[in-house]
Amino acid sequence: MKVTIKSWTGVATWRWIANDENCGICRMSFESTCPECALPGDDCPLVWGVCSHCFHMHCIVKWLNLQPLNKQCPMCRQSWKFNVH
Amino acid sequence: MLRAIGKRDRDIFEEVWPDKRRIVLKLLRQDTVSQREWQDLFFGVHFVCLWDEKGAAKIYDCLQQDIVEFIVQAQSQVQAQRGEQALLATYIVEWRKFFTQSNYLPLPFRQLEQSPQVKPSSSGSSSSASVSASGASTSAAAAAAASSCSGQAGKSGASTSAAAGASTSAAAAAASTSASTSSAAAAAAASGSGSSSSSTSASKKNPTEDSPVRKLMLDSWNKHIFHDIKHRLQESAMKIVHAERNGDAYDAQLVVGVRESYVNLSSNAEDKLEIYRENFEMAYLKATAEFYRLKSAEQQQENGVLAYMKYADSKLREEEVRAKRYLEPSSFSILTYTLVNVLIVDHLNSIIAECPALIRDYETERLNLMFRLMDRVMHGVGVEAMMGDLQRHIMSAGLADMLSASEVITQDSEKYVERLLELFNKFSDLVRNAFNDDPRFLTARDIAFKTVVNDTSVFKMELPTSIANRGVKYTAPESKCPELLANYCDMLLRRTPLSKRLTSEQIDARLRDVLLVLKYVNNKDVFMRYHKVHLTRRLILGTSADSEKEEDIVEWLREVGMPADYVNRLARMFQDIKVSEDLNTQFRTSISRHDAINIKILNAGAWARCSERVSVSLPIELEDYIPDVEEFYKKKHSGRKLQWYHHMSNGTITFVNNFGRYDLDVTTFQMAVLFAWNQRQHDKISYENLRLATELPDPELRRTLWSLVAFPKIKKQILLMEPAAISSPKDFAENTMFYINQEFAIGQNVKFAASWKAESHLAPAI
Repeated sequence: MKVTIKSWTGVATWRWIANDENCGICRMSFESTCPECALPGDDCPLVWGVCSHCFHMHCIVKWLNLQPLNKQCPMCRQSWKFNVH
Repeated sequence: MLRAIGKRDRDIFEEVWPDKRRIVLKLLRQDTVSQREWQDLFFGVHFVCLWDEKGAAKIYDCLQQDIVEFIVQAQSQVQAQRGEQALLATYIVEWRKFFTQSNYLPLPFRQLEQSPQVKPSSSGSSSSASVSASGASTSAAAAAAASSCSGQAGKSGASTSAAAGASTSAAAAAASTSASTSSAAAAAAASGSGSSSSSTSASKKNPTEDSPVRKLMLDSWNKHIFHDIKHRLQESAMKIVHAERNGDAYDAQLVVGVRESYVNLSSNAEDKLEIYRENFEMAYLKATAEFYRLKSAEQQQENGVLAYMKYADSKLREEEVRAKRYLEPSSFSILTYTLVNVLIVDHLNSIIAECPALIRDYETERLNLMFRLMDRVMHGVGVEAMMGDLQRHIMSAGLADMLSASEVITQDSEKYVERLLELFNKFSDLVRNAFNDDPRFLTARDIAFKTVVNDTSVFKMELPTSIANRGVKYTAPESKCPELLANYCDMLLRRTPLSKRLTSEQIDARLRDVLLVLKYVNNKDVFMRYHKVHLTRRLILGTSADSEKEEDIVEWLREVGMPADYVNRLARMFQDIKVSEDLNTQFRTSISRHDAINIKILNAGAWARCSERVSVSLPIELEDYIPDVEEFYKKKHSGRKLQWYHHMSNGTITFVNNFGRYDLDVTTFQMAVLFAWNQRQHDKISYENLRLATELPDPELRRTLWSLVAFPKIKKQILLMEPAAISSPKDFAENTMFYINQEFAIGQNVKFAASWKAESHLAPAI
């Protein structure tokens, strides 16, 4: 009796690939949300800078809006640019 | 000039009045008075007042004597009557005659109103109060004595008040204002004395209403006849009412007539019902209370409490009707209050004592009657007692019902929910039929339902709350109700024999029922957790009966006030499934050879918290797919990585043996185990070797093997073991041997479903 697979449903969850456990701005875990969101996942995404630091999108946007002149990464003080993969 | 005709003041009155007086007497007796005579009277009064300085006072005094004399006569006639009815009838006749005349007789004496000498005393009651001491003597002699005595008093009272009135009116005239406020009549008279405008102000009302003569007539009647016989009148009237209550027919008009005389007798403009209230109403209330105090005790003793309730109810209505006949509307509420006290409050305890038995026997009609009676009692004492009884009954009966069926309902969530709903409907019917869905009773019902639903004596779940220092695990017992409700929901929403049997509307109705019960559950979180576990299973296995309904119920849960957090997570789960479907389509078009592969990529935060990830050595075929999927996903979503949850993944395998071709729905773990035989189909493989082959952790392997050797719904298992007499997965040893059952076959109608142990894998860590 040889068994063959007719169909298969694989279940997986996804996680962020971040170089840190927590967001450097709000100090919340990347696996949970920024302080303003309730549900982790697509609605509260992470973003990466070219400096390779990553934050909750909501957190870094808020931070950048508070910087009138030099938009810098709050971690390394390099000028902030979004890293679009 | 006219004075020259030559009569002295005194003589004018003496000469003119005796003639006119006869007319007055005729009027009092209601004898026929010719137009001429009537006119003469006006003239006479005017003439005397004009030419005799003290004429007005003289006429007034004389008139008073005549009225008193007439009243004394009338009184003796009334007093002469022996029977109750005759007494009342005579009184009423005399009174009506007199009352009618009180509207006419004052007309010719309008002139007197302008005279300061006959200003009416501001209240007749002060002088009459002094007379009332002489009491209700009924003998003729005593009455005569009283009347002569009170006649004296009346005369002196009138003259003193006339003097007082003169001084006030003089003062008012001096100030040229009508400042007198003692009564409307006094004000009218006062302004009349100053100017001639009195006729206009008086004519606005009944022209005789404020007349001092009319007041004189009524006060005199009050003093001379009414005070002496009012007790007899009242007693007689009450005797008639009493007789009527006992079922004898009497002339109700007699009682009505007496009441009317009481009402009309009042000359107090501000409180017209004063005399009525202080005498008639009081007597009526007293008689009523006494009558029913006796009767109610008698009734209750003879016929028992239940019959008594009917009696009380019917009497309350009857008396309300009677009150409309015999009482002024202002007395209705106090009468009802009195009746309720005598008929209900005095018997409150004995009536309430019947309540538990009535509730037990579902005597809705009687309960309704009791409720209506109790609802009349002030401060809701009776109703509260009934609410307590209802609540206690629902609790004890509900729990007893659950306990008696505990064996079935703890196992079968459908039976449990149905039984619970049956119970609820029964009690809701009771509340509706017996208590008209009164909010107070609905509250009592809800409290009791809560107790039944959350009670832990029938079945309980052990929820670990804390682990104490010494390692002893304390658990807080919890009702299993929310878990069973969630199970029932699952049966309705999943493709099951139950959900196939029911129409869509029936399923909706039952889901609504579940939400109804859920309302009473204290620990709604438990329901939500189980619901989520079930939903997870349905979504991943694709076993939902109706995906629209699945989403409907999420909204319903939101409507009934489930925590928004939970509900949002449920909504997110549906979103994930939809996103995964799109991903699948894209994945299949990108790589053509993966038609058999489905992927479900979930948001870690939204789904039921999964137990530890379990590693497993997948069949080679699957092992090849995994990197393709991961690569594909990475392209779609940068910055994300996948974590596989193989204990949730599943598939269909196909095989052929001597009996036919079979498709089996299995878990990925079962798949991994069965694939161990692919290269050595007839071998016996030891537990130890299977572990090495699958790399499954020990407990997981035991569970999976057990599901293949002892699947509860089929006779011929797909795997067999040696020794065969193992009764629990715990008893598998390293050297227990397993082999494929070459005889494996399943009937055409039996579908071998994946034994996907949702509970064991997904059970929330609560």
